[in-house]
Amino acid sequence: MTHPTLPAPFADLAPFAAQWARPSENARSEIRWSASKDDFKALYDAMMPRLDDILALLSQHPATGMPEDVHNLFLLACAFAEASPHHELYGGSSAVPYSFDARRFVRTDGDAAL
Amino acid sequence: MMTTGITAEDLAHISRSSEDIRRELGVDPVSVRAISDPAIYDLEREKIFKKTWLKVATTWELPNVGDYKVKELPVADASVLIFRGKDGNIRAFHNVCTHRGNKVVPTTGFETFGRSRANVVTCRFHGWVFSTDGPLRSVPMKERFGKLDTACLGLREIHCDIWEGFVFINFDAEPAQSLTDYLGDFGKLFGGYPYAESTTAFRYSTVLNCNWKVAHYAFSEGYHVPTIHAGSLPGFQGVDHRDFKLMGPHASSTIYGAGMDTAPSTLAFASMLSNTERHRPRPDQLPPAINPERRADFQFELPNLFPNFIIHLASGCGYPGMSFFTHQFWPLDHGRTLWEGINYFRPAQTAAEQVAQQHVNALHRNAWLEDTATMEDTFTGIMSGTIDEMQLMDQEFLIRHAARTLDSFLAA
Repeated sequence: MTHPTLPAPFADLAPFAAQWARPSENARSEIRWSASKDDFKALYDAMMPRLDDILALLSQHPATGMPEDVHNLFLLACAFAEASPHHELYGGSSAVPYSFDARRFVRTDGDAAL
Repeated sequence: MMTTGITAEDLAHISRSSEDIRRELGVDPVSVRAISDPAIYDLEREKIFKKTWLKVATTWELPNVGDYKVKELPVADASVLIFRGKDGNIRAFHNVCTHRGNKVVPTTGFETFGRSRANVVTCRFHGWVFSTDGPLRSVPMKERFGKLDTACLGLREIHCDIWEGFVFINFDAEPAQSLTDYLGDFGKLFGGYPYAESTTAFRYSTVLNCNWKVAHYAFSEGYHVPTIHAGSLPGFQGVDHRDFKLMGPHASSTIYGAGMDTAPSTLAFASMLSNTERHRPRPDQLPPAINPERRADFQFELPNLFPNFIIHLASGCGYPGMSFFTHQFWPLDHGRTLWEGINYFRPAQTAAEQVAQQHVNALHRNAWLEDTATMEDTFTGIMSGTIDEMQLMDQEFLIRHAARTLDSFLAA
């Protein structure tokens, strides 16, 4: 399987990009809802130590019109941004504890690709 | 900063202490009949939703001439077409062809957005063409009608006015009050904040199997925060809910907070946002009578704009980078409600800011998932007939006030 290309300093994160990076919130939610506690931990352990460096690189690019490798990193960072609370706060659960069914909760404009 | 010239002193008369609230609104339990009785819902449709001003759009959703939004409002048996016309003005019409009643603009779901580049819309049934400012422009085979007064067959207009970029409509043929008069002190309290700069919107909706007031009331108090949000707000050190205000049918209050344990990823995203001029906390931009002492622990203002709209004004002080967020509760029938929640940010300039906004939005969306978890159970409980009354504490005064306001509208 070919992995998305990432900027050179982050090339080793390509398997995570293949697993998590998707262009819309609704598509990323589907991935998150099926993730296991170990999936969240592996993503967190790979991303959190590099987060400041990733944000520093993404700060050099406007919100639209990124080169493809930067865009792939951006989508991985978006997936991490949405997944990190599941590791930090929700005990690795793919659902928010004691919550409404997230599948009934529609991001009305969430299919707009980033 | 924009200013309305209103000072905190000008609005001193809306301010209430807990003692004032108890004296003015009472301390007795409040009947749940307005929630449980389907006959009340029929009265609400006629005496509230077809009489009061209702927020249906924002000006920044319709930035260009020809932009439109269609909003389906079953509570008023209406499909509403909101257009920015050729003259730049926003108008609202019934989305109904004056020929035989078909929908002029076809819709999907409760909200449909689009743009008419030629400044006309054409009914797909027989091709009647209307201008975006209303008049009937052309009718195919017009000469085959024995009688047709096209001058009187424009789209049927609905009263529409704008406050601070929020577009309101009123279904009444002759509204009893202008929008400015209806908003009254609410418009002064919340006026002057640059709402229209926060054009980045994360929009959510869900259909809840509960009466609309169950959903509305669940978002109308801070009493629930330490318990229901224990998961999403860990180490939460409590809220200080105060600065109560009463303004005719509307009311407001302020949530100050002692903070919470911030998770490492949230800290990284929040730090990045707070280092930017566009997304940092801006207590200085709050209208003068909101957080008048400019307390550093201000989180957001929690109001009720009667009947069904909440603007939580945060100015970046609560959730990092969040300018404000809104809730709206649209009855679909007595026991079904369309809830709409929108998080508003200033546009991200960099890809990193956009990622950080995704994180903050996700945290807040997840808190909403905790909020909505109670609503269907609450309605089921009330419909079981087990309780006749709600017990309300001081910080649930927005509910007490809204219930009284509802009663007064239904009695009118």
